[in-house]
Amino acid sequence: MSGFALPSATLLAQSILSGIFTGALYGLLGLGLSLSWGLLRQINLAHFAFAFLAAYLCYQLAVLGVDPLLSLALIVPAFFALGAALHAAMARFSITPLNSLLLTFGLTGIVEAVIQAIWTADFRKLESAYGAHRFKIAGLFLPVPELITLLVAVVLSFGTWAVLHYTDFGKTLRASAEDAPIARAFGINQGRNAWLLAGTCSALAAVAGVCLALSFTLAPSQIYAWIGVVFAAVMLGGPGRALAPLAAGVVIGVSEAVTMAVTAPSWAPLVSFTLLIAILLLRPGRVA
Amino acid sequence: MSEGRTTSGPVADHAVAADAISAARRLPHAPIAIVGAAAVLAFLPALGLPAFYDSLLYLILSWIVLATSWNIFSGYAGYFSFGHGAFFGTGLYTSATLMARFDWPFLWTLPAAAACACLLGVALGAVVFRVKGIRGEVFALLTLAVTFVLGTIVGNTPLDGGSGVSLASVPIPRIGPTPPATFYLLALAAATLALLLSWRIAVSRLGAGLFAIHDDEDAAEVMGVPTFRYKLAALAISCALAGLAGGIHALFLNYVTVGEVFTIAVPLTVVLMSVLGGTRHWAGPAVGAVIITLLLYSFTAADLAVAGKAAVGVILIAAILFMPDGILPRAQRVFPRGKRPPLARAAVASEAPRTPAPAATVARGDVLLRARGVAKSFRGVRALAGVDIDVRRGEILGLLGPNGSGKSTFINLVSGRLVPTAGSIVFEGRELTRCAAYRIARAGVARTYQIPRPFRHFSVLDNVALAAMFGGGGAAEPAAARRDAMTWLAFTGLQDKAHAQPDELNLHQRKFLELARVLAARPRLVMLDEVLCGLTASEMDDAVALVRRIRDQGATVIFVEHVLHAVMAVTDRVVVLDYGVLLAAGPAAEVMRRPEVITAYLGQPYLPGHPPDTELAERPGA
Amino acid sequence: MLEVRDLHVAYGPAPALSGLSFELRNGELLCIVGPNGAGKTTLVNTLAGVLRAGAGRILFDGRDITALPPHRFCGAGIAIVPEGRRLFVSMSVRENLDMGSMLPGAKARRAESLEAVLALFPALRTRLAQPAGELSGGQQQMVAIGRALMARPRLLLLDEPALGLSPLIVRELFVAIGRINDEGTSVLLVEQNVMLALRIAHRAYVLEAGRMVADGTPDELASRDAIRRTYLGA
Repeated sequence: MSGFALPSATLLAQSILSGIFTGALYGLLGLGLSLSWGLLRQINLAHFAFAFLAAYLCYQLAVLGVDPLLSLALIVPAFFALGAALHAAMARFSITPLNSLLLTFGLTGIVEAVIQAIWTADFRKLESAYGAHRFKIAGLFLPVPELITLLVAVVLSFGTWAVLHYTDFGKTLRASAEDAPIARAFGINQGRNAWLLAGTCSALAAVAGVCLALSFTLAPSQIYAWIGVVFAAVMLGGPGRALAPLAAGVVIGVSEAVTMAVTAPSWAPLVSFTLLIAILLLRPGRVA
Repeated sequence: MSEGRTTSGPVADHAVAADAISAARRLPHAPIAIVGAAAVLAFLPALGLPAFYDSLLYLILSWIVLATSWNIFSGYAGYFSFGHGAFFGTGLYTSATLMARFDWPFLWTLPAAAACACLLGVALGAVVFRVKGIRGEVFALLTLAVTFVLGTIVGNTPLDGGSGVSLASVPIPRIGPTPPATFYLLALAAATLALLLSWRIAVSRLGAGLFAIHDDEDAAEVMGVPTFRYKLAALAISCALAGLAGGIHALFLNYVTVGEVFTIAVPLTVVLMSVLGGTRHWAGPAVGAVIITLLLYSFTAADLAVAGKAAVGVILIAAILFMPDGILPRAQRVFPRGKRPPLARAAVASEAPRTPAPAATVARGDVLLRARGVAKSFRGVRALAGVDIDVRRGEILGLLGPNGSGKSTFINLVSGRLVPTAGSIVFEGRELTRCAAYRIARAGVARTYQIPRPFRHFSVLDNVALAAMFGGGGAAEPAAARRDAMTWLAFTGLQDKAHAQPDELNLHQRKFLELARVLAARPRLVMLDEVLCGLTASEMDDAVALVRRIRDQGATVIFVEHVLHAVMAVTDRVVVLDYGVLLAAGPAAEVMRRPEVITAYLGQPYLPGHPPDTELAERPGA
Repeated sequence: MLEVRDLHVAYGPAPALSGLSFELRNGELLCIVGPNGAGKTTLVNTLAGVLRAGAGRILFDGRDITALPPHRFCGAGIAIVPEGRRLFVSMSVRENLDMGSMLPGAKARRAESLEAVLALFPALRTRLAQPAGELSGGQQQMVAIGRALMARPRLLLLDEPALGLSPLIVRELFVAIGRINDEGTSVLLVEQNVMLALRIAHRAYVLEAGRMVADGTPDELASRDAIRRTYLGA
């Protein structure tokens, strides 16, 4: 075990910055998961598999010469449709949140197998124009892919928040999550709202996947590496909220980064999971 | 040679044969089958098959241990844990460390591995079970998080240090002809142990309590099941078995790493195996383990490991959607096991239900329950505001009041489901106020629910037997409890429905099931919460007659009701609550004529043609 | 305007309404009184589409709405003020009111409806941004009634609005309910507090164990023994 080593100020600052970037991706991944859990009462483990599928598709399109950010125009609508269709199929069965967890785990296995069948288990790295650039400000490095991720995360989180709080659609979603029968009594068509929301969560997963592809190396086994820490981010803020996953994600990302800088990288998972345990023990009601 | 029997001839032979058959019937089939199968399988290594078969069978048996042990807690009690990897891993690393660092002989590390895993489980349970609201998906995620925390700690400390632990130099004991055979035999022993324990728990009082917790933990606790202790016991056994499997696996692998066990893969596989095979049956997880392991193996062997993962995913989805109870229960329905009659039927055949003898003359009049200053507030809403109520032994006391007056709250407080904000409740001289609900049930307090809450997965008979086992009466073992239950079902007229599921009963029958459950607990205080609600006139008459018979059995009754003609007919005294305050107490006919009571129910008197409130009156008439 | 014929509604195996028939005329304020367990809430929930009828017919303006999907009842012109208010407590008062006017017709006139509601319940004007869960019981009931009014209903269903509230607030609410009816909205009011209900009703029915046992004008009912017997058993 490496002992504690106080890093230099620059190293610490770079670590914190790096933590913010990683945290932004946690938040972006967590946004769709949080909406699905809080507003649809489904815990969608397959969210991560979909993100990776989108990441791989982005990679493949890049290999064929399509700019990653442009590929969003193709990938996002496709995943919206996928999410909506899947929800329509599952809506025929009444599934408890626990069962949705198990069911989507099965789905994850299937998607992982598909990914591995097409792209093999080898690591794949998206080489893009963005990856080559980075800004340097005050001695700190800001890589472009991570900056893009941060920007996208902030815009989408605030955008979602605005929709939930300022549009009628958002209000009906929140009301339906709180008291579905009464919302129905006031004319809310929950069936339609549900698949719109499911499609949106899928689309959010796809966007997160593209950002993932920009910054990280891809491998099918990596799907599972993100599950724990993103769940921690979602639960820390409480499911069903728009800004909470981003805030919590950044908190976790920075804590992890600082832990890594001060001790050793292998201690990082301790941070998020201990936070998760603490939250669950202290405020289980806020999650359920 | 018993009296009255002919000593020879066909009739006597038949009698002797019948005795032998019924004796054999009384021996439980399952453990014999388990041990027998194990004995047969133990000879497998002697056949000299290639080592590969021993290893494959070892894996199957190891998964049987893991899945069965998971099911003992998570399947039976319904608390789906995703932490089985942590317990398996604890056993694994305990064994590995003891062997590599401290040179312990392999076999001695196994009990240590089981003990360490067990301790971890008990510590976790002791904390988590005390926090209300940790169930379902929250519990699942919590246990998963614990797995990763543990894995990180192990991987970063000298226990593993990131490089794994090598056990190459540890000698393998010669239990079988070859090392793979040795592991196979050890796993066989562990699997036998796991299955025997799983079966034994399923048919015991502990198992009944766990299944009740699965269906409705709150109702189980109020009925007398010590939920905290039982959950902890099941978790301890489950973890110990997982630790044992881990210990064996350590030497099998020869080189252990964190990534092997402290992941999401182990718990999810175990969940899949149990869900597939059936979580309510002791053999379900084993069936699932065999199917999944063989399936995955055949895919790997055909170089289709990836497709194997997809196949497992498809199976899990299909199982959740179409067979939520698993394979075994489905198979049981297709092939009903008619051979072994349930013990209950045997009991019915041998003894006609007797009407239970009324208790000795009760000393009427002295105070059985004394509530003083009892108050309860929920988030600023005052449900009860300092109520004083005396309940006298042997009486039927009506508890009345308009909607929202605090009647149900009072019952919840006395039964222990809620804790009072202030005041005290003394029952037979014992302070009940901060007691755990199951203790209050044991002390002799029972209640029904306004909307009946039977345990869904239990038959009608078993619903009542549960109450007999855990209530104040204390018929300890399931067999005796079932016999008791049969009597009480006859008392309430439900004996023909003994083997039906609660879903099949109509409302009247469900209410009588609630009453039978209450009776089976042999309580001294019975609280009936709107038992007449929804019944037709003649059904109500039956129910009222039953309430009288309950009192004649020696119980005191608190009768919450809105149907006032019934209240008039059956109660000795009534107590009226309004807005959480005691309004009146006394004989029913007299109390219901008091002006303050009439106002509480009907409002200020309305005099035709002369309404006192002008603003309300100035309205265009009809 | 509203005609109910031989309605049967059950909760699982429990029959809550057994062959109920009654009618409500246009512009009327009809009260349904009865003790607990009589089926009053079941009736209101079925008329609002929250529960499904097992048998029988509900005719609204001559149109059979019995088999409509739940979310279409509001569009037909029926709005509910549920028992216990059932506000969306995490949302603000304004958002709760908006929730009443989500359907196209009501949405177009949202500003106008809001003004009308605030004129009826001035206390809410300063509380529009407050989370609904923080209001007192009486104020919450005002929001619940306001939410229903935002839907611009032709028929307003009220399920025990007086429950758990102090007499002073209850009186204020009932004055408001009377005013709502005066302005043209038909009202079906379900109440346990008989005398209060009878004071503003044009007509009333008495419900007991899922069946109507008496009906008439308030004067007729108050002098009859039916009510006394049903409530007090004597």
